[in-house]
Amino acid sequence: MRKRLLFPLLALVYGAVSPLLLAQGSSDTGQVIDMTSGEWDGIVNIDVSVLFPDYREPWNAGQPSGGSGTGFLIGQNRFLTNAHVVSNATKIVIRTTNDPRPHPARIVHVAHDCDLAIIEAEDGTPFEKTRQLSFGGIPKLNTEVIAVGYPIGGDRISVTRGVVSRIDFRTFSHSGVDQHLAIQVDAAINPGNSGGPVLQAGKVVGVAFQGYSGSVAQNVGYIIPVPVIQRFLKDVEDGQYDHYVDLAVTDFPVENIAQRKALQIGDDGVGVMIADAEPAGSAGSALQRGDVLLAMDGNPVLNNGLIRFEGELMDMNEVVERKFAGDTLKIRLLRDGKTLEKEVKLKRFDPYVRLGSQYNQRPRYLVYAGLVFQPLDRNLVDAHQVRDPVANYIFDNYLNDKIYVERPEPVMLTTVLTDEVNTHLAVYAQSVVDEINGVKIRSLQDVAEALKKQDAKKDFIVVKLIEKGRPLVLKRDLAESAHPRIMQTYGIPEDSYLGNE
Amino acid sequence: MKPFFIFGLAVISTSLLAQVKPPEPGQLAPGVSTPTTDGKPVGTIKRRVLTPSLKQPTAVINPNSLLKVNVTYQTYNMQIPWQKESAGGRRGLGVVLPGNRVLVTAQMVADATYIELELPEGSQKLAAKVQAVDYEANLALLAPNSATKEKEFFASLQGVQVDGSARIGDSLSVWQSGRVGDLIVTPLRISKVMTQGYVVDNAAFLVYEATGIIRSESNSFTLPVMKSGRLAALLLRYDSKNQVATLLPAPIIQHFLQDVADGKYDGFPSLGIEFQVTQDDQFRAYLGLQPDTPGVYVSKVVQGGSADRAGIKPGDIMMAINGSKIDARGDYQDDLFGAVSASHLIRGKGFVGEQVEILVLRDGQETLLKGQLTRKQPDDYLVPPYLFDKGPKYVLSGGVLFQELTSSYLNSFGREQRGALLRLQRIATNPEELEKDGRKKVVFIGAILPTASTQGYERLSGQIVLEVNGKKITDIADVAAALKTPKNGLHILKLKEFPYLLHLDALRVERDNLQLLNGAFRVSELSRLN
Repeated sequence: MRKRLLFPLLALVYGAVSPLLLAQGSSDTGQVIDMTSGEWDGIVNIDVSVLFPDYREPWNAGQPSGGSGTGFLIGQNRFLTNAHVVSNATKIVIRTTNDPRPHPARIVHVAHDCDLAIIEAEDGTPFEKTRQLSFGGIPKLNTEVIAVGYPIGGDRISVTRGVVSRIDFRTFSHSGVDQHLAIQVDAAINPGNSGGPVLQAGKVVGVAFQGYSGSVAQNVGYIIPVPVIQRFLKDVEDGQYDHYVDLAVTDFPVENIAQRKALQIGDDGVGVMIADAEPAGSAGSALQRGDVLLAMDGNPVLNNGLIRFEGELMDMNEVVERKFAGDTLKIRLLRDGKTLEKEVKLKRFDPYVRLGSQYNQRPRYLVYAGLVFQPLDRNLVDAHQVRDPVANYIFDNYLNDKIYVERPEPVMLTTVLTDEVNTHLAVYAQSVVDEINGVKIRSLQDVAEALKKQDAKKDFIVVKLIEKGRPLVLKRDLAESAHPRIMQTYGIPEDSYLGNE
Repeated sequence: MKPFFIFGLAVISTSLLAQVKPPEPGQLAPGVSTPTTDGKPVGTIKRRVLTPSLKQPTAVINPNSLLKVNVTYQTYNMQIPWQKESAGGRRGLGVVLPGNRVLVTAQMVADATYIELELPEGSQKLAAKVQAVDYEANLALLAPNSATKEKEFFASLQGVQVDGSARIGDSLSVWQSGRVGDLIVTPLRISKVMTQGYVVDNAAFLVYEATGIIRSESNSFTLPVMKSGRLAALLLRYDSKNQVATLLPAPIIQHFLQDVADGKYDGFPSLGIEFQVTQDDQFRAYLGLQPDTPGVYVSKVVQGGSADRAGIKPGDIMMAINGSKIDARGDYQDDLFGAVSASHLIRGKGFVGEQVEILVLRDGQETLLKGQLTRKQPDDYLVPPYLFDKGPKYVLSGGVLFQELTSSYLNSFGREQRGALLRLQRIATNPEELEKDGRKKVVFIGAILPTASTQGYERLSGQIVLEVNGKKITDIADVAAALKTPKNGLHILKLKEFPYLLHLDALRVERDNLQLLNGAFRVSELSRLN
């Protein structure tokens, strides 16, 4: 069950593509690699046993599986790899090319939003003298890089070669919602390459992490570039990872003459319209719809949302990307023809997290008299293949309709474990909960508390669902006596896991 | 398995329609009949010959009551509303009624540009027009165009009577016309009577469900179903896999004809509520219902509907309508059919303008509410459930296409509904919020044509328009009016979705409008407001 499942793991994560690139400097073209030199001893295979959480039966342990990827030594017993290589891991083993022994390892830091992780060997002594890899910069277009790692096709280390094709903002498919700078290369990148270094002139210029499945695009692999890596490394310097911060605004490019005139934007190409600012986001009070963002930290923002930063044109979010929780951002904006200067304190925007895949988490749930309540998030929607139109609408429009303001964690009645006490309620599975016993449900924790409360009709448990016409009603005494019976019948060891243990 | 049931509302009909596809007029009307080369197929009889061999009590078969009906139709393009689609044809049968009128399903004549009647065996044809049509009940009454030719044409024909006495277990026969006008008679047996969605959204009526085999013939659309020589039903749809025919029954046909007879067609009334069954003991206890208390839980009351006018409120227990007791499933006991959804008491048995008495249980007290039956016309809905015989309303300005949302527009995308379309779809099923906001219709941006005015906006579509030039938009006419008053030479659009705000240069818009009228998009009119 364990070892050679590398491909399934990566296929699950990436839709069958996971790139690994390793490049060497252009001067190295065709150079013979001597594996006995020790230069690449720090590039290791990471073999992982995983347990996929079961969001359908959240009280169960989940599905055991396994996979493998690549990592490389960047400090004293510090191996850098992808978060998706070690996600949901129950056991991690490091193997090297020249050493037959497996080295048990553990996660030190993991950042799911940028798909990076640091792991360490439980016993670091065998790696004390291993050569560490060092970082270069952002490679230029059309320069050669090589990807090194342990992809499918064999057990020993592999090298593939290609050039830098593009440098752009991309969605990182590990979470599915986070966008960062990524470098596209045309070297072959396959499952197992994940987490491996991509080299140019002997220096790491990126970490291979994802690709495209072959049906549409060809020779498209992506690597996480050094600025993203270094931001991660800096973030964890204080011993914990604080997550990316977000401005949480949506911009709309200014191309239209009427738009420019109405917003009083000059013809120097500077200024992008703010279409929306999330009220709970960093800029929720500083920016509003129809504002024109002129500059961030003194760098002019252009009409198309790009910013001139460190001499290059890049997405304006890149300025925020490099910052950390609690940092401030100076913005200059135009509102009703007046130029304003503001300071924004940057923070993480939590609603994004719920919309993306989450890992290393035990599923949270609460069972009461056969009614199973779970938080409505990406993991749940994927596992249950939700068909209820109301639930799907709420999830899809969680941001659009600012549902997160009212309900930070919408709760769904996912399943009804039928028993005579609840048999009439089975058709209401996959409904989103509005109130229980008169208490508005804003999170799973609220469910636990609301069930203890007594409504006006105190002999009843009353569950109101969103847009379902009638309340679900259980007689409290019948529900209480049915609860242990249902728990036993359906083999549920604990009636809830609320995540606060 | 929807946990709620609809009473004169849209949802059930759509979900049921999804399961059994009604015969699509265009598909079921091949122009050429199947040649029956080696003599008469079994079950086929020559015209004017009685059928002694058939076992059911077919006392009289009068084949002189069938006509071929040929329709040419042309629908509007919902997404490019100034254009019409290519014309198509439908061939079906019509039932001759007394007074030289011809009954067909409404599907036959939807968006018709030309209708003609044809004698089954001859070549004689007569142009006809729609005298009355009800797309919800799926019925249409045709009348000849020319009074002079009418007499001669109908000379050999005889009108049939409509017979509403059929009940479960009765044997009926389906009439089809063969290639040369031969009459094909097939037996059917009614196995169920219930209410079910018809063809358009928002329309559930009584149906007979009958089992039997119906052969596929040319003209097999709008097949009459007879009982003892009288019209008992029209074929609504046929599920050949399970050999189940769904029939549009005589009680609905009679209702339609009676409504037409007074010269003013009002349509079928509806109660306008959603209700929930009360079979769950704990729910009943919560509601304070005794074990023998009849009734259903009213969960939603449509604004301005019959129930609303009578004073029904959500949370009431609806116990009886006009003295007929309603059980916990929402059925009443019909003299003829047994348990049938109480909606039939209103839709099938009531007429617009009639008094209705509804007994409700409210706060433990039985209260008799009285009101007048009404009907919501398609145009009374925030999102009209269907649109036939006229083009979608729109305003095209500078390349921005403003449209009024209809179910027909949403259906034109087929099953693939995501993103913006899903949001619009939801408004069709949950109109309350926008209705409360004072909107009469939903105006949205259907598309943006590439012009100088719309530079940078080309990829937008699906946004609901809230304001134009500071004026609230409640229907498409508001857009046309508001666009006459730009501010400082600019049009300002406020939208409900990203990018929330759009600007257009008023002068450029005028220039682009002129170009659109003569340009590549072949725009004939910049708006259709009626």
